[in-house]
Amino acid sequence: MPGSDSPFPIIGDRPAYDAVVVGASLAGCATAIHLARAGRRVAVVEKKPDPGAFKRTCSHFIQAGGVPAIERLGLLEACEAAGALRSRMHAWTRWGWIEAPPEEAGLGLNLRREVLDPLLRSTAAETPGVEMMLGWGVERLLREEGEFAGVVARNPGGEERELRARLTVGADGRDSRIAELSEVPVKTFPHGRFAYGAYFEGADPAFAPDATIWMMDPQWAAAFPTDGGLTFYAAMPTMERLPEFKRDPARALVDFLGDVPEAPPIREARLVGSVTGKVDMTNRMRKPVAPGLALVGDAALATDPLFGVGCGWAFQSAEWLAEAVAPALGGEGRLDEGLERYRRRHRKELAGHAFFIHDYAGGRRFSPVERLMFAAAARDAKAAGMFDLLGTRRSRPQRLLPRLLPRAVAVNTRHALAR
Amino acid sequence: MSAAVERSSLLAGGTRARLVQAGPADATEAVVFVHGNPGSADDWVRLVGAAGAAGHRAVAFDLPDFGETIAPDGFEHTPFGYAEFVAEALDELGIERAQLVLHDFGGPIGLVWAMAHPDALAGIVLIDTGVLPGYTWHRLARIWRTPVLGELFQAITNRRGYRFALNRNEPRGLPREFVETMYDHYDRRTRRAVLKLYRATPDPGGMSENLIGLLAPRDVPALVVWGEDDAYLPSSYAHEQKQAFPSADVHVLPASGHWPFADAPETVERLLVEFLARVGARAAEAG
Repeated sequence: MPGSDSPFPIIGDRPAYDAVVVGASLAGCATAIHLARAGRRVAVVEKKPDPGAFKRTCSHFIQAGGVPAIERLGLLEACEAAGALRSRMHAWTRWGWIEAPPEEAGLGLNLRREVLDPLLRSTAAETPGVEMMLGWGVERLLREEGEFAGVVARNPGGEERELRARLTVGADGRDSRIAELSEVPVKTFPHGRFAYGAYFEGADPAFAPDATIWMMDPQWAAAFPTDGGLTFYAAMPTMERLPEFKRDPARALVDFLGDVPEAPPIREARLVGSVTGKVDMTNRMRKPVAPGLALVGDAALATDPLFGVGCGWAFQSAEWLAEAVAPALGGEGRLDEGLERYRRRHRKELAGHAFFIHDYAGGRRFSPVERLMFAAAARDAKAAGMFDLLGTRRSRPQRLLPRLLPRAVAVNTRHALAR
Repeated sequence: MSAAVERSSLLAGGTRARLVQAGPADATEAVVFVHGNPGSADDWVRLVGAAGAAGHRAVAFDLPDFGETIAPDGFEHTPFGYAEFVAEALDELGIERAQLVLHDFGGPIGLVWAMAHPDALAGIVLIDTGVLPGYTWHRLARIWRTPVLGELFQAITNRRGYRFALNRNEPRGLPREFVETMYDHYDRRTRRAVLKLYRATPDPGGMSENLIGLLAPRDVPALVVWGEDDAYLPSSYAHEQKQAFPSADVHVLPASGHWPFADAPETVERLLVEFLARVGARAAEAG
């Protein structure tokens, strides 16, 4: 708007909110907390009315790369007080275990969503400047002069409210309605595995409290010890295994984990709660911004659950967005420039990871380059350290691969000659 | 856990076969292991010990012209000839009822035995083998089945080539000792026997329909273990075994190949011991 201090046209009344966030899960609550702490007025619209609601189909694991964002949110201590475990990663491969030297290994975070989600939601609700609207769904987006300008929300009683805001944030997950309504460009990548998982108690896996993944090529399995003496066991097989899981999920899960190499004691453990599964997890990468609108968390980038990156990236993307737009929402600088900064940051941090995840998600086996790297990481502590930096998402492929690949060649050559 | 495994020999079918056994030697019901190709009684030492430790009589023996056992003159190198040998061996050992544990070509051999002695079949464990409806031979078998080419192939196979070819197809590689023993036994007799056996079996899936028709109504207790990455007999056949054994417990082992008892020994041992206990409990219940 030429001549105006603010890029947002003020028509009639000033918008009631600086931002309206749709979705009160990890990314939405984190966005609201950051913005409100920066002095912005935020409405959070969530269609689930229950403040204790939590995401059920999730492994809950948060990679070490995402933990600092939780710490900056001021929630790490609360998580640990709630029983969260800090876990290193042990990865089984056909070449041996990949285990970074303990002092170099990233510490991820294990806390059930049942505990984490309400903790985060109550923190958001208690943050001055946040108005929590639980039980409200989004009907449509408001637009003004080519920009998004808030939402029309509706409760189950049929009451509608117009929530005008300078920024609309879609934090509504993999199947984001905001993304759909705003028609931001999306790229999809086929997903060739499915996931089933459940909590068990009574028999800890060998490396507890550390996490274990089995990279069995093409099948994957994982064990995440967590709060309350529980362990989340997950199977992520390719589609031909689906019939056995559909027939009897609990039995198939126990059999699958019980049959992996160096199997965890799942047969001696007791199932707690029910087995959850998800079959269609088409990977989606959306342009995370549009005029007056941004997407965070899974709404922006929903990848393969194989790698346990979703929760961490929800916290991180929320933080990147808040940093980029809070000044503009307070009248300093232009919102479109802030959104562009967020888009570039999101891309720089995650596009490299996403490329490799999408490429592998179809259900294929390891490529020769992947085999080379994983074999080296199993044989060499330094390569294992680099693998850990990458896998726990503490570093980016663009930065690490130029170092890891030559190391992998050297390690494997030495190994071949020594035989 | 494994009991003392006793090595001896057995006179059956006109030859002296190497024998590996454990558990109560006078029991008339036993767990009987039938190896595949290439293979021998040595494949089963660990599992024989485990079954013995669990209180079962367990026996494994070389098939003629495999391992260190020499076939008598005029031996018929076909699944039928081998099945007859199994029958004679069991007679000799005083075994009246058997829980068969079959691997690879031990599958067709054991199943032919079962067709002839359906009432003597107490249970069955199929390891990367079983009924194979619609199966056409893997590449190596097609080479063996081709006159001249098969002979040539067997003649030029040396220890290094054998080791390489075998491990190339295995997801985790096989223990060195296991491969070396297999090659030690892969002598001229075995090589000739292999050609005869594969050439006498033009259609490995051909018998499936008869087997299914005969066995399915009996619903014999069954365990199916299959290495997911088996390069010779695809693991997609694992669940097909339910056609012949409707109540089968099927385990497709991730990151395992054609010899799960060599690359995932603990898992196979656990599955076998659990299966034997289950069948034992069921038999006790039935009185």
